[in-house]
Amino acid sequence: MFSWSQKALFALSAVVLSAQQTQLPRAVDGKPNLQGIWQVRGKVAADLKGIVEGGTIPYQPSAAAKKQQNFTNRQTADPVGKCYFPGVPRIMYMEYPFQIFQTPEHVAIAFEWSQVYRLIYTNGKAAPHEGIDSWMGDSRGRWEGDTLVVEVKGQNDKTWFDLAGDFHSDAMNVTERYTMLDADTIRYEATIQDPKVFTKSWKISIPMARQKNMKRLLEYQCQAEAEEANGLFERDPRTWYPNPGAPASPLGKPAVMPPSGTLPEVKTGTNLRRLADGKPDLTGYYQSNAGGANYGLEQRRSELRLTPSTRGVIIDPPDRMLPYQPWARAERINREEPYRGYDDPTAHCFVAGVPRSIYVPSPMQILQPPGYVVMLFERMSWRIIPLDGRAHIPDNIRLWQGDSVGHWEGDTLVVDTTNMNGKTWLNEVGDVVSYAEHVVERFIPTADGKITYRATVTDPIAYTKPWTIEIPLNRANDELLEVACHEDNGDLQHLKDVRDEYRAKQKKGN
Amino acid sequence: MRIRNLSAVIMLMAGSVLAHHSFTAEFDVNKPVKLNGKVTEMKFSNPHSWIYLDVEKDGKVVNWALETGSANALIRRGWKKTDLPAGTVLLVDGWQARNGSATANVSSVTFTDGRRLFAGSSNDAAPTK
Repeated sequence: MFSWSQKALFALSAVVLSAQQTQLPRAVDGKPNLQGIWQVRGKVAADLKGIVEGGTIPYQPSAAAKKQQNFTNRQTADPVGKCYFPGVPRIMYMEYPFQIFQTPEHVAIAFEWSQVYRLIYTNGKAAPHEGIDSWMGDSRGRWEGDTLVVEVKGQNDKTWFDLAGDFHSDAMNVTERYTMLDADTIRYEATIQDPKVFTKSWKISIPMARQKNMKRLLEYQCQAEAEEANGLFERDPRTWYPNPGAPASPLGKPAVMPPSGTLPEVKTGTNLRRLADGKPDLTGYYQSNAGGANYGLEQRRSELRLTPSTRGVIIDPPDRMLPYQPWARAERINREEPYRGYDDPTAHCFVAGVPRSIYVPSPMQILQPPGYVVMLFERMSWRIIPLDGRAHIPDNIRLWQGDSVGHWEGDTLVVDTTNMNGKTWLNEVGDVVSYAEHVVERFIPTADGKITYRATVTDPIAYTKPWTIEIPLNRANDELLEVACHEDNGDLQHLKDVRDEYRAKQKKGN
Repeated sequence: MRIRNLSAVIMLMAGSVLAHHSFTAEFDVNKPVKLNGKVTEMKFSNPHSWIYLDVEKDGKVVNWALETGSANALIRRGWKKTDLPAGTVLLVDGWQARNGSATANVSSVTFTDGRRLFAGSSNDAAPTK
């Protein structure tokens, strides 16, 4: 049997292990609490060889030749170099931070890189839609003891593992294991199976470190930054936030706005589903019934049957029209010219901004992990709304989705958003908004699964007074799919052709 | 048949509300097109799916790119990539792209037996028929 010293050693190691386990932060359901901002420790995005168990990836002979070819062409052929979705596991070890959110039914990961997210279902349900492949795959998770195990299936064959050209086929399955080693470290493991490319399964392992000094994620919009740098997307100097040293807005500094009118009261529901903390449970998949807001916010009659007639979504001012300053009204009218269609950021697949993200005709998912409300948009972007009473980020940081902070007023979620970059349009017809935009949104739950959404926009650069829109949001029993947008954007070149032809004619005319 | 028509209407609506760009900026309502041809490919993609159609005119075959709604809208209504095999003959109404290329936004797609396919315009702002 065991000697005394061996027994003592066992006893001691048991004590050490349980001490470690009790040190782990835990969620209300007792699972390790992975919530926080994380980033991998180490540089592996260029070549993941260093974290492969055994040091080599077991390619089949023909695949090894392709990997070599990829490596040779990597500077132009790497999908991430084109800002395409990185796929799993690559997104996990890119050198950008990400934030994990955890509820008993979901683990969501929001990435700073291009506002990609992963929504991992831990509710035991199977995917409702079959036979789809996507760039980021379908992720289903379960807890094995204190380890979160995630099966990732249905990824396409267009992503690589790294800049060195390591690749896979559409037959790949990835099994990830997230194990918290201490409060500030997660061991991330991924086992790769792909019988079309490899002779056997192989595994990577890398630590992820909590980013203790990071209070929030910012944005790295890969495609938008590339297009701005190479001139394919032009900012309007009248609306975007001046860079340091650049001339101020030609319109001068924002003035103080008169207060908006009194809005009719909407009553919150009486039999709402509630979370453990007593707040309304808004969790779920939502579709907005936006009445064509993405094609115009104002009341309008259909002209030439090009746009449907609509009462619009503006509830203040009472005439249901936007209180534009003259220059902004002129700009709005000009944006309806066909040659301006190219200038709409969403035609480039850039994120829609606030409040447009809510009423683009694509669904969204609301999550309520402790301390936050998180909104995931099918058009692949997120909004992270902290509820801890923090102040907005410094004025000189400007973001496509702005900086949102939230609080509850009774059963109504109130979200305050500033720090917009002034590059977004409010819809396809080009309703104008500038960097001075300040949005106060109210998510008013009127019944289980029904939200009356109101957004009051104050923007003294473009408007004479604040205005408010109202849109119903309806919960449905579905899951988000993936919109890979600029990866498959067949329209942008056509829009550019129209723009370029117009510019060529203008030049000739002069 | 009634049910089939109803589902065609639902498809039309589904396809119609998932645009990410201005319809009128890309397509020309003064250039309506009627095409009769054979499917070469159905590309399930976002933000729009595309049907590629070989259309013969004056002895020459031109491959048209026809824009429809998003893959996600089709998937949510049970469509699969394999549901429109190459070789299927289709009649297509739509509007040609302003740049004059063999590209069109689809308003209706009909099989030779008169059945209508899912496709509606990819945009609410397209003319109503």
